[in-house]
Amino acid sequence: MISRLSYIFRETGASMQRNVTLSVAAIITSAVSLLIFGLTLIIQHGFDNLLAQWEGGVEMIVYVNAGAGDEQRSVVEEALTQQVGITIDDWSYCDVDCSLADADRLFAGDPVTRGQLTAENIPTQYKVVPLDATQVDILRGLRDRYLELPNVYSVQLAEEQLDLIAKLQGFVSTYTTGLWIALMVAASLLIWNTIRTAMFARRREIEVMKLVGATDWFIRLPFMLEGLLQGVAGGVVASGAMWFINDRWTAGVESFPLNSGMTALVVVDGYQWQVALILVLFGAFIGTIGSGTAASRFLDV
Amino acid sequence: MIRLENVTKSYSEEVIALRDASFDVAKGEFVFLVGPSGSGKSTLLRLINRQERPELGAVWVAGRNIVDMPSNRVPMLRRNIGNVFQDYKLLTNKTVFENVAFALEVIGRPKHVIGQQVPAVIELVGLAGKEDRFPHQLSGGEQQRVSIARAFVNRPLILVADEPTGNLDPATGEGIMRLLDRINGTGTTVVMATHDQRIVDSMRKRVIQLDRGVIVRDQARGVYQ
Repeated sequence: MISRLSYIFRETGASMQRNVTLSVAAIITSAVSLLIFGLTLIIQHGFDNLLAQWEGGVEMIVYVNAGAGDEQRSVVEEALTQQVGITIDDWSYCDVDCSLADADRLFAGDPVTRGQLTAENIPTQYKVVPLDATQVDILRGLRDRYLELPNVYSVQLAEEQLDLIAKLQGFVSTYTTGLWIALMVAASLLIWNTIRTAMFARRREIEVMKLVGATDWFIRLPFMLEGLLQGVAGGVVASGAMWFINDRWTAGVESFPLNSGMTALVVVDGYQWQVALILVLFGAFIGTIGSGTAASRFLDV
Repeated sequence: MIRLENVTKSYSEEVIALRDASFDVAKGEFVFLVGPSGSGKSTLLRLINRQERPELGAVWVAGRNIVDMPSNRVPMLRRNIGNVFQDYKLLTNKTVFENVAFALEVIGRPKHVIGQQVPAVIELVGLAGKEDRFPHQLSGGEQQRVSIARAFVNRPLILVADEPTGNLDPATGEGIMRLLDRINGTGTTVVMATHDQRIVDSMRKRVIQLDRGVIVRDQARGVYQ
């Protein structure tokens, strides 16, 4: 077993050295495609942060002054309840902890502003789901009425920021997905071609191996390992590049105006690690698929 | 050891390599396959190690019909068949020792077995002291000896040789034949395709003659024609 493993690793190393140009090209292509894939995931996560507070069909948020007690808020709750079944389908209260959690995501790229928000000064929220989200005029009427209620800090409608963000998300998602799929296919084909070239260069060796009784799997394994390593190397390079780009973006977002909405469009939690792992695993997958297909297809050299 | 029963092999409708060929080769026998180019000698050897499959008939090797043998069993079959070629098929980037060891390495033999068997077989073929040379540093005859060492290192039951003296001068060819005869003396069955009349006539072994895919003569202690 040890001698077989040592043979497989030795042959893989030798083959990669022989095909160094093609190997580097395959690694770069897979790294670029995986990077775009990784950035797509990161951007989507940023949009999710941005839109998190509007999840579940919420179209209007009524912000209540910090420190408003149950009694003071009961006026707002009464006004909301009166409309249930008429213009409002449902409403929920987002307390201090919930509002702080929202702030964590909304100001992820602006730690200074986030640092100023505390349990004592953060406005709590009523999240309102309307019966018909397309009736914008009715929602605007409600907003104007709720703004006049005591202890109401502000009222925000989704239509004011959601439409633009949703369109932007759809646009970015469609084109980056198309791009990374195309590049992923290209990377897989390039790895396939690298392995085919490696097998052609070693056709005499393979012929001898088959004639002396080596199994097909024994012959294939070094080639498959080569493709796997190329894919993993691409994944590691892509993860590093993604980390760098995200780091630069996060640093840059701090200088954006607060009302630009961009402060939520960053990823600073452990999600980057998850994406890095996905990129390496996906790299391994495309490398193995490309090389495994070639190694099976061109075994009869 | 080898039995062909009514074997027919064609590569297309026009190219029929073997027609209804039948013969038996006993364990330890030495058989020459003779005939002009295109008569079916190489095809016959390729049928024995399952590089080809016939359209009709059965090919028995070591008691098993290999025609319908599952492909995952073929490597085990080939470990019992050594192959020697006219063009040696040595790996140019490996030394004599590495070329011979390669045959054991790729079937998963442990290092200590390789360390014992390879020097022994290199000595058997008369190349002791040249283990570290590369193929381009050897003469044609020496390269063929390496090829024979690689074919024999796993002590196969059968050794098939496709014109092993075809690229060699007569004197070197005789040396190769003495080596193959010696290997045959250890009990290994040898089937050799050749055009070399002088060798066939001098060794007086069994001769199977082919002509356009048909066995036209099967003669014990025969001559070329």
